[in-house]
Parts: sequence; C-alpha cells; structure tokens
Amino acid sequence: MPEKKPSLPGKQEKSARQQKSEKVTLPSSKVRQANNSKRSSKRQTRSLQAGLAVMGGRAAGAISRRLRLGGGTSIAGVVAQRIYPDIVNHLSSQLAYGSVLVTGTNGKTTTSGFIAAILSDAGLRVWRNREGSNLMRGIASALIIRARPGGNLSRAGQAISIFEVDEAVVPHMVEAVPLRVAVFTNLFRDQLDRYGEVDSVSTRWHKAVSALPASATLILNADDPAVALLAESRQDNVVYFGIDDAALDLAAQGISPERHQTIDTHTCAKCGAELVYSLRFYSHLGHYLCPNCGSARPQPHVRATSVTVNAFDQLRITVETPTRQGEIVIPLPGFYNIYNALAAIAAAQALQINWEPIVSGIQQFKPVFGRGERVQVAGRTIRILLAKNPTGFNEVLRTLFSEGEKRHVLLMLNDNIADGRDISWIWDVDFERIAQQTTMLTVTGTRALDLGLRLKYAGIDAQAMNIVPLTPLRAASKEAIALPRGKETAHAVSNGSVTSARKTRPTAKPAQTHGLAYALDSALQQTPVGETIFVIPTYTALLDIHRELERRGLTPRYWEEKGP
Amino acid sequence: MSDSNKPRFTLTLGHLYPAQLNLYGDRGNIITLQRRCQMRGITLRVVPLGIGDALAPDEYDLLFIGGGQDREQAPVSQDIFDMKGIGLWAAVEDDMPVLAVCGGYQLLAHYYRPASGPDMRGLGIFDAWTIHKGANVPRCIGDIAIEWNGSTLVGFENHGGRTYLGTAKPLGKVLKGHGNNSEDHSEGAMYRNAFGTYLHGSLLPKNPHFADHLLALALRRSYELSDDNLKKIFPRYLSLKERPAQEKRGRAAKKNGASGAVYGIIPTPIDLDDTLEWEAHASMLERLGLRSAARAALRHR
Repeated sequence: MPEKKPSLPGKQEKSARQQKSEKVTLPSSKVRQANNSKRSSKRQTRSLQAGLAVMGGRAAGAISRRLRLGGGTSIAGVVAQRIYPDIVNHLSSQLAYGSVLVTGTNGKTTTSGFIAAILSDAGLRVWRNREGSNLMRGIASALIIRARPGGNLSRAGQAISIFEVDEAVVPHMVEAVPLRVAVFTNLFRDQLDRYGEVDSVSTRWHKAVSALPASATLILNADDPAVALLAESRQDNVVYFGIDDAALDLAAQGISPERHQTIDTHTCAKCGAELVYSLRFYSHLGHYLCPNCGSARPQPHVRATSVTVNAFDQLRITVETPTRQGEIVIPLPGFYNIYNALAAIAAAQALQINWEPIVSGIQQFKPVFGRGERVQVAGRTIRILLAKNPTGFNEVLRTLFSEGEKRHVLLMLNDNIADGRDISWIWDVDFERIAQQTTMLTVTGTRALDLGLRLKYAGIDAQAMNIVPLTPLRAASKEAIALPRGKETAHAVSNGSVTSARKTRPTAKPAQTHGLAYALDSALQQTPVGETIFVIPTYTALLDIHRELERRGLTPRYWEEKGP
Repeated sequence: MSDSNKPRFTLTLGHLYPAQLNLYGDRGNIITLQRRCQMRGITLRVVPLGIGDALAPDEYDLLFIGGGQDREQAPVSQDIFDMKGIGLWAAVEDDMPVLAVCGGYQLLAHYYRPASGPDMRGLGIFDAWTIHKGANVPRCIGDIAIEWNGSTLVGFENHGGRTYLGTAKPLGKVLKGHGNNSEDHSEGAMYRNAFGTYLHGSLLPKNPHFADHLLALALRRSYELSDDNLKKIFPRYLSLKERPAQEKRGRAAKKNGASGAVYGIIPTPIDLDDTLEWEAHASMLERLGLRSAARAALRHR
C-alpha cells in the first residue's frame, strides 16, 4: 500500500480457484504468451478452450450486431461462457494492473466512470464492461472483445480493468477475478422481483467480502449502514468514504422525513434494533448509531467536509483524505454524485494514483448515458437522468425541483426484466413535490398508465399531463371509444427528418396517440424553443429513448462508442 | 370541497407497522384511501401503529397491514401476538374492515412455516396457513388478475410461501398468476370484513371498486348509513351484500350517539372520475391476455 508507483498485483492476489489449478503464472506480456505453448498439456487444453470460447463469442456478437438484434454486448459472453466456463478468470488474470470491482444499487456507472477517467488520466489503459452488461455474461463479453483468437488478451500490459457489477453477481465475480479493489457504493431497495429482498443481497455481499483476498482493498460507504458493516470480518485494507457536512442534513434543509420516507435499511444489521440518526442525507444514508449494540458509522478516511452547489450541475466539494486535502468540482447534477466521486477518489488512492489525475478525471468528466447527458433536439435541450428505483427517483426529483423553478419533464416507466417487473415502488416516490412544478409533463413507457395514476394521486390533475402509452388499449378501440389523449396531433419534430414510424404509415388513420415517438414529439411541441426537457427514464426506457434519438440521427449508437 | 363548518364523516385508519411492513408500495394503498375520501369530503385520519403500541378497536374504523422482509416480519409477528392480538380479534369479529397484504396476510393466518427454523405464529383470523417449501421451489412472482365479486382485481405478487385455506373463503379466483399457492386457483382469504391478499402493485389505486368497497364497509359500520345514503356516496360500484344481523346493533353510539342521518350528514352525491384507474386496470388485464375482462373493466369508466 505505501508504494508510490502503480504496482503490479502480487501473486497472493490470485483467486482460490486459480491457485488450485496448477502453477499458472500471470502472463503479463505478449512475449510471455508466446512461450505458453511449451507448457503442460492441461495448459494447452485451457488455451484451446479459451481460444474457441473467444472465437465463438466474437462470432456470435458479430452476427448479432449484423442482424441488428441489439448491441451484441451480451451474446458474445453467453456463447463464450458456454464453451469455456472459466473464460473470465482465464482472461482477467492476464491484466497487468489487475481489476477493480464496483457494485451497489445506485451509482455504479458513474463511480466506475470516474475511476476510469482518473486512471486514464494517470496513463493507464482502462478497460470496462459496457453499460448495462453488468451480469457475468456482459463481463465475459467485455474481455472477449479484447482477446485474440488464441485466447489471450491483446495489449494486456499497462491495462487495468474496471468491472461494474450487478449486486447479485458480486460473489461470482470475487471468485472468478483476482481483484485489487472492490467498491461498494450503497444498498437500496431495487427490483425485489429479481433479487428477492434487500437482505438477500446483503447476505451475498457478506459472502463475497469474506472470499475477497486479503491484499485487495475494500472500499465502503461509511454512511450506508448496510454497506459499512460489510467490513465486520475484516480488519485491514478497508477504506471508508462519507460526508461530514452537517448542512446537507435533510432536517437542516427543511425536508421532513415523512416526505423522504423511502428508508430501506432502518434497522441495525447486527442486532435488528432501530438505528438512530444524528444526520440524514438521503434515504438511509447519514450518521447513524445503533442504541442497542453500539454499532456506529465508522469514521471515513476519504470524506467531503463541505459541499457547495455552484449550479444545477456543479457541485464543489472539499475532500480530505489521509494524504491530501483539496477542492474538486463535480460536473454532474445530483447530490448522490458526491458519494460517487468520494468512492472514486478512495479507489484511485488505493491504486496509488496521484492527486492531479484524480482532480482532472472528475472535473472533466462528461456525463454519459442517462446520467445527465445532454442532447440537442429541434432547438430544445434534452437532459436524460436515469432513475431506476425509489431512492434514485427521489434524488433526481430533489435535484430538479429544489430550486423552485418550473420544469419541462418527460417521465418514462418500463417494467421489463431489467427494470424490474414490479412497479409498486412508484408509490414510494415523492411525486407530490412536483405537483404544480411542471410546465410540461408527459408520461410514457410500458406502464405509462400506472405512472399517470400515481401522479394523479400525487395531486396532479389528469388534464395537466399527457399520458402516452406505448400501445393502445385494444379493449378501448373495440368499444369504439377514442382515448381523448394528447391535446392535439403532434407533428414530428426532429432535426429535419420525419420519424420513420410516420413514413411507414402515411395512411389516413386517426391521429396516433401512443408510442415513444409520439410521446417525444408531443413533449417537444409543448416545450418552447431554447428550453430544457428533463427526461427521467427507467433502465430499459433509457435504452428506448436512446434508440429513438438515434433513429433521428441525434446520438451515436452506444455500442459503437469507443472505449477510452 | 365541502364547507369547513359543515359536519363531515370522519374515518380513522389504523396503519399497522408502517415502519416495518412497507416493502411493496403499501403507501399507495394509504394514499388511495386518503384521496378517495378527500375528494368526497370525508376526513380520513391515518394513525400509525408500531411495535409496542396497543390496538384499541374502538378508536379505528378500518385497519391496514402491509408486507415486509423476513428480518422485519419476525419481531412484528411477536408484537402482533402480544400487543394487538386481542384488539384485532375484537375488531374483526365486530365487522371492522381490515385489509392485509402479502406478509400482513400471512400474519393474520394461523402460522408461517419457513423453509428452515421455527414456525412464525399468526393470529388465526383466517383459517389458513403458509408453508415455504425451500429455496428450490420458485417464488410466486408476477402480474396477477383475479375474479372478485363479479369483477376483477389486478396486481403484482411476490411471495415465497404457499398459503393453503382451511375453512376460510378465498378473496377470489385466479384468472392469471399464482395466487395463494399456484395449485388450487384460490387467491387471498376473507373472514367477515377482513381481507387478506397477495396482490400489491399497489392494490387499491388500480382497483378503485375495491378501495371504495372498504370505505363503504367502514362508513356503513361506523355511521349506520342506509343503503340509499351509501349509494349517494358510492354511486358506482356499491355491491354490498346483506348486512349481517348484528351490524344493526347501533354501533353509531360510538359516533356521538347519532346515526349519520340524525347527525345531519346527508351525503351529497359525488361521482369520481376513475377513467385513468380503469384504463390502468384494463391495460393490465390485456397484458395478461384477458381481453373480455379488459372490455368489461373499461365499461366502469
């Protein structure tokens, strides 16, 4: 840990499985790999398998892309893992600078984005799994697209990989990949239908942490009781991050706890007693103490001592670490990004990165893919802020509506598997705060009607919003009752081109009042030129809006974006 | 809304364990009852009943209990037995409407038998019991529609335990989804005016007729309203069965010794616009492939 330069991971960092399987060395350069053919026959079988897996996976990915089935980001991994189940371990152990794992309910993508920016500013070659491919197959894909048919990674020297990992996959990852750093951002209620309950995620994390090699640095959010207590079984190599600015307390800001009642972990993970908070920043994050067993928030090593909001998307924080104190401006909207930045700083310091790349990596960070990214459409600005669970949604609403400024908003609620099929959580989002605060409010997605209903019960007049389901109600058309939706026919407004949905159907059908294209058009039409529309989508709705913008020629296909 | 000096109906809702059992958007059920009362000029007070609080049945007109995680459900199971059991029993036997969702439903049956560990005992209000058959038996997860009272209820279910009914009547028949145990097509349980169900999502917003049913039961019980007067407040979905004989005992004594009519509260007919509610309801039925039920639901608009 006290070394100055980025160091190579030591031998002790190999996973248990790797140690079992003969003396496989870390081939960290091409030269090494060239000599591999001389090794034992078992070794050859492994390389052969890996080679086949890489070729199979890449072929499948290429076919999928060619057929436009999607980005082909997961299929490559699925195929490769089928051919060679250990492919992730085989490839990742070739990385010269090892691997960083980032997990948690919210903030994974931004945190790993910050870390990636910092590390590349520090001169490393950074590899990441793509957005949304954070299950095992996506991680396999990320490695396979960088591997050669021989089963070896190309240019693995100087390379470090950052794996953004789904909460439930963490134990598999810890087993499969020799990790140097593991970051746990937070644990909120999310997708109960997929993960079971919050507690079952917590159990998996405890398991994963106990399987983590002793040399790996564990980075934990001190302010989240569900995360901070993961270090119970571990004394060394734990770094906590947290916020020490009392001005950010909800009570100090006049926000009643009733309003922010989505409190996920309110009981002590050790003894089950109700936790007592001296400061609460959002949801269950804050300074807490268990009155029964005495478990308390650990003192963070990396902490934000003061936070000032320069602008909607400019947060200036003063950071103190054991070695450094300084100011950093986070160029993203949302209070939760303070935690993401602190986590990234802690991770960078654990990797012995200097202060300058840390500052530049964060300050010059470009919001990506649904984290406040900006797109210009027909003279309006669209800013997309992903919200996938009640806490995330509440924080986005708090970011947008705390200044009392009225906003133009397009809400998108999907219930596909990646979003969670259960949408009951929308009833835990404080939509009450946006009543009378929007000048344009459009609601769409596979569950547009449910979200519309939620807004109605939040006190928003059904006439004051435009509810655009993705598909029409068949029962309604059978009854020959036209839905009186969408005040007038919206015209396709885009950068010059008419949307293809319209092109293919130029018949004199009744005005189309459903579909994402229509929702976007009517949102644009009701928003004056020069104004900003805030799009708040769930995860697959984010993919949908991207696809729609891309169809209008407005954003690059995300799977064609070049990695850093 | 109505003039502030005009006498109003007041209902008190006891919300059991809001801090522990709040997992599946249970707040949506409360919000729905609140708004639907508010729009009709009825005051609905919501009183949280946490661990350690006793339940005095006279103080409430209806009760709600939601669902939670196992870790939270265990202390609740003890408390409901020790602190609230007798009060809850008395309330149910006295025809107070009670809605119990998911974990709350399980707590009102005889017991919950986890895959490992001791049974968690319930109140036995519903003659039913729940068994978790182990991690290898998949959870019952997904959208669900049931037939209820000549109409439909839609929601989302997510439960590991399978519930089996003894003499308890089911709330409804499963049209699509798992229901109590995904074996016998039963969903939920009923005893007097107590309803247990696995449906959340939230349940009441998309099922306005069920929400109104609970409110009508509460008003009828607490204010001795005649069916004619009840029809004025709930012109749409009122389908109350014959009153149980003992409900005519004059419970209104509790409300200042006067029945609704004598008290001078003549309800003004209020018809709520539930278009959006029924569209959301119908759209769920359509997604589940229940076309004719969806058409029937839209006729409620």
